[in-house]
Amino acid sequence: MTTGQKISVTVNGVNYEREVEPRLSLGDFLRHDLQLGGTHLGCEHGVCGACSILIDGKSVRACLMLAIQADGLEITTIEGLRDPQGGHLHPIQQAFVEEHGLQCGFCTPGFIISTVELLAGNPSPSDEQIKDALGGNLCRCTGYETILRSVRLASARVQAGKAAAHNSA
Amino acid sequence: MKPAPFDYYAPDSVEEAVALLERLEGEDVEAKILAGGQSLMPMLNLRVARPDALIDLRKLDTLKYIRDEGEVIAIGAMTSKSDAEDSGLLKQQQPLFQHASYLIGHRQIRNRGTVGGSFAHADPAAEYGAAAMALGIEMKIVGPDGERVVAAEDFYITFLTADIDSTEILTEVRVPKMAPGTGWSFQEMARRDGDLALAGAAVTLRLEGGNCSEVRVAVFGVNGSPARIAEAEQLLEGSSPADELFRQAGKAAAAAVDEPIADVHGSGDYRRQLISVLVARCLAEAVERAA
Amino acid sequence: MVRDIPNSPDMLPITSTRYVGKAVKRIEDPALVSGTVEFIDNYSVPGMAHCAMMRSPHPHARVLSVDTGAAEKMPGVYAVLTGEDVKKWCNPMATSPEGWGAYCLAVDKVRFVGEPVVAVAATSRYVAEDALELIDVEYELLPVLVDPHKALEADSPTLFEENKTNVIQDRSYTWGEIDQVFSEADHVFTEKFRWNRCGANPMETFGCVCDWDTVNDYVTCRGSYQTPGFMALGRAGSFNLPSNKIKVISHPHGGSFGGKGGPRGTEIAALLSRKAGGRPVKYIEDRVEYLLAGAGQSWDRYYKASIAVKADGSVSGFKVDLLDDQGAGSEGWGTISVAKPLAAFTGCYRIEAAQYNMKLVVSNRAPTFAYRGYGPPPHNLVLESLMDIAARELGVDAAEFRRRNYIQPEQFPYTIPSGNEYDSGDYEAVLDKVLGMADYQALRAEQEKLRAEGKLVGIGVASTVEPGVFDWNAYSTVGVAGVGVPEGVKVAIDIMGQITVTVGFSLEGQGQYTLAAQLVADYFCVEMESVRVAYAATDVAPPHFGPGGSRLGVAMSGAILGACQKIEDKFAQVVARLMQTEPGNVELMDGHMRVKGVPGAEMHIAQVAGTMLNRSDLLPPGMEPCPEATYVWTAPNRNQPDDQGRCRSYLTAANACHVALVEIDPGTGVTDILKYFIVDDCGTRLNPATVEGQIQGGVAQGVGAAFFEEYVYTEDCQPLVSLFSDYLLPTIHEVPIAAKGDVVTPSPVAPLGAKGCGEGAIHTTPATLMCAVNDALFPLGVQIRETPMSPNRVWTLIQQAQ
Repeated sequence: MTTGQKISVTVNGVNYEREVEPRLSLGDFLRHDLQLGGTHLGCEHGVCGACSILIDGKSVRACLMLAIQADGLEITTIEGLRDPQGGHLHPIQQAFVEEHGLQCGFCTPGFIISTVELLAGNPSPSDEQIKDALGGNLCRCTGYETILRSVRLASARVQAGKAAAHNSA
Repeated sequence: MKPAPFDYYAPDSVEEAVALLERLEGEDVEAKILAGGQSLMPMLNLRVARPDALIDLRKLDTLKYIRDEGEVIAIGAMTSKSDAEDSGLLKQQQPLFQHASYLIGHRQIRNRGTVGGSFAHADPAAEYGAAAMALGIEMKIVGPDGERVVAAEDFYITFLTADIDSTEILTEVRVPKMAPGTGWSFQEMARRDGDLALAGAAVTLRLEGGNCSEVRVAVFGVNGSPARIAEAEQLLEGSSPADELFRQAGKAAAAAVDEPIADVHGSGDYRRQLISVLVARCLAEAVERAA
Repeated sequence: MVRDIPNSPDMLPITSTRYVGKAVKRIEDPALVSGTVEFIDNYSVPGMAHCAMMRSPHPHARVLSVDTGAAEKMPGVYAVLTGEDVKKWCNPMATSPEGWGAYCLAVDKVRFVGEPVVAVAATSRYVAEDALELIDVEYELLPVLVDPHKALEADSPTLFEENKTNVIQDRSYTWGEIDQVFSEADHVFTEKFRWNRCGANPMETFGCVCDWDTVNDYVTCRGSYQTPGFMALGRAGSFNLPSNKIKVISHPHGGSFGGKGGPRGTEIAALLSRKAGGRPVKYIEDRVEYLLAGAGQSWDRYYKASIAVKADGSVSGFKVDLLDDQGAGSEGWGTISVAKPLAAFTGCYRIEAAQYNMKLVVSNRAPTFAYRGYGPPPHNLVLESLMDIAARELGVDAAEFRRRNYIQPEQFPYTIPSGNEYDSGDYEAVLDKVLGMADYQALRAEQEKLRAEGKLVGIGVASTVEPGVFDWNAYSTVGVAGVGVPEGVKVAIDIMGQITVTVGFSLEGQGQYTLAAQLVADYFCVEMESVRVAYAATDVAPPHFGPGGSRLGVAMSGAILGACQKIEDKFAQVVARLMQTEPGNVELMDGHMRVKGVPGAEMHIAQVAGTMLNRSDLLPPGMEPCPEATYVWTAPNRNQPDDQGRCRSYLTAANACHVALVEIDPGTGVTDILKYFIVDDCGTRLNPATVEGQIQGGVAQGVGAAFFEEYVYTEDCQPLVSLFSDYLLPTIHEVPIAAKGDVVTPSPVAPLGAKGCGEGAIHTTPATLMCAVNDALFPLGVQIRETPMSPNRVWTLIQQAQ
């Protein structure tokens, strides 16, 4: 039906029940219905990767899904990575800060989400594996060097098991 | 860039989905099947595709599997491409299919895009087309009259058109295992890594007493449908492998391409050239792997 | 009073700097990596409407009728805006030269595919797009102006009929004895080049939320504005509003690179709001709109250029004939991109005479806009390619040929023929360093070896000047008036000793807020965490321009230092009174106001600020209790251009030399960048990490322009590129990670000795890569003179060679 249909979706650990029009994209739903604006829309046709989110731990493009398809699924967005209590950044976020892995920051949530999936499956990726995982994310500012370094640093931290999350200058 | 309105259905079983397709066709409602949506969603967003109804197969968990069936690996249509990419079974027993899966788009696309969706969409730039031709993959299709199995040669009709009726659903692809000792190669050229290929080739062959045998050469991306290139295969069959022969086979393959696509990324002549080069390089790599 | 701004970090009132010159982490980043920054599409207000636009499918047509009846009646639609409304309420967009701007919505005719014709405001973008489908527009097709060469002919179809021509400008500028130089030259090399359209493509498209207060006729526009003050002024002109009745609020934006214009989107959203009775209207340009008709297309050029060379290898003259296709008008200020090369016309070289024939014409392609570098990148590609041609013909190595022609360190300040004055540099030192990093001799030897194996391997060397800190006077050749680009900040110290810097520009990616905090923290010797940088909208900010023309790091530094000095002067008066001495005996050092020569006679700045705000009885009589100051900086010593456009325009001249090693696959025409080296001299590096980020980012855009990015049009002016699958931004796979080194020649005239560096590598990378590709192709006897050097183009040339 074209009219609203009820969905139940878990985003960053919070369950939401909402009525959505079938044509509503998941990206728009997250951004505007749930006010989770960190999932950015850069092209809405699946090329730029800025809207990447995790569904059951796998990165997907929120612009290429309907909200209604997320019924019953577990989603993590960039907002879900920080430690909800202390507010500490996720080790990958922290690594991007330390290595200047961003400039304008618009594409950054997508890169970080892709990195979460990568490091979960492969904690010590080679540069080629990093590039493979991030090839679907476009950045217009950095020229990718510092992004690569950020992922390397995050990987090293994950490896060492000492995810420094403090935020000093 | 937002989709036009449509009705939405998410059937719980293949039977229900087929019945729904039949009903909607009877009511003259244009319905489209939504599998992973990685090709359809952009078209909906752009309002290039504007079906009256979407039938989402997301609840058909029964179509998510990669099964060892002896001679054949059976892959459920709703299996994600990344599951195919990550499959140990495919890596060991059908590495060409596994590699073709890996070459599709980027990880985020493969996580959501389905194996069946790619076959059914029949985009000429889809890697699975060449894999289907080179490996002799069969498609299992379910419709109101039951199940049928279609060979790759009969499956691809033209641009974005496969032999699937509007009331049918592709439920499984059946991929023959690669016989031990088989050499294979899959290469493509895209403007950027992960882009749709301008052209690509897949080759399998065996070496019998130092000569090529059971040579299969398939190409994709250059025109309406993937194709096997008999001219190239015949040149190799029974011959001793040599770079010059590979080049000739490449040229033969290029010459066999009808009406190559021309777009902003490459002319028809250029795409032919790519076929020539890629087929030759695939042959060389396949021979190396067979040896 | 204009203040003397220190030109070296050593002059800051701190024993040793803790932040300036260090690769400190950016204060912008924790929020950006958390996804909590308020980009414009994250902003909404209750009752807000959403805009969608119906766009022209035709490159040139008269609009005969527009039927919006059904759309207006559709539930959820608040307002429908047409050309009739726009004609009534709005003026065409301002341009320079004047008279080449369209209205924000098509009035009477459309001039390019994608031009907005009707706009709808509705409850959601979805509904607004539905409403567009109910609108009927009847067109009468007009002959299309496709080939810009035809624009010069009198009988070409006229786009702006009131102008009676398609030529915006056709003028020649001559600097020095050009005819004599060419007639006396031992060699003259002439070549043609084609630079196809490419452009900015920030990851965030343009967006805005506008509301028109219909009671007070006051317009507020929020959006992703690169230059909010300039935007406000332009819209006041378009809307016939007093300039203080329009307010622009710039939100943090996802990149710009010149391509965050949005004059049309802003005007359309504001007028929709007016028509909807003042309801705020949001417009978020989508990527297809951006690619077809946004501020994303730049530099559509046909060059014919010559250099004159003496037998000893010295280059004496440089002539450039440029035909620039501006597209359907110059609403995007694309004209400036033709003028800007004057700021560094002859690059790094001692070339005594030059000539520039600039022909700017319109066509039925989309209007062109600013893009990082704003014109010089193609110009540099032409000059550097000619340098290579000359070197090869004279049998001199490409690097050596450049070395022989460099301006020498002792020649600075150096006035180039086109009038600009370079402040400083050491081009040979930069060259030597990069050649050392690349192990150039070994690289050449390796190339010889690979060539012998039949491989197509090439080395490119290119040297360029990046003009920094733009001034309006640089663009007089296309009719821009004015000298000076003020940039102001306010620095305020509160009663708790916390410091706030107020600026007139928002976050865009270059790390300017961090730089502001670094400077203030070192000036007053406080922790960076004690400094907050606040954005002020156009109605309350000091005079400002924002980022552009490689200026903001330098200009903002000047403004901050001026403001800090003013506070220091006030504090000196307070402390002098308290310590019973003269203000001249009091100085700031390490965060304390000290009485010179009296150990222990000092007060911390927080104490001084507190005294000012809380102890009026202790202040010098009549002193305003205000521990804050505003300072507006503009580049010193700028002047009016002469009739040949010559003036001191850009304040600083940064320099870079790149070396690339590439290999071409002869079978596919694909070029692989094997090695890439950069040495850059942008004076003092205030934050080396952000400088390197600008450089590497410029490499990526340069690689895009050189190999991937192109707006392709059919022979009847239909755009073929409207998706990111066709406009190819380089990914992590395609961009080489350059080995980078630096040479630091501080600017004697700029704040802290820093030179503008924001545009950086895009000036040099396309030139370097074209030189490298041509070096690789040289044994085949073919050369490429067109960008992008796509595999298809390169392969076609290889075919021609065989």
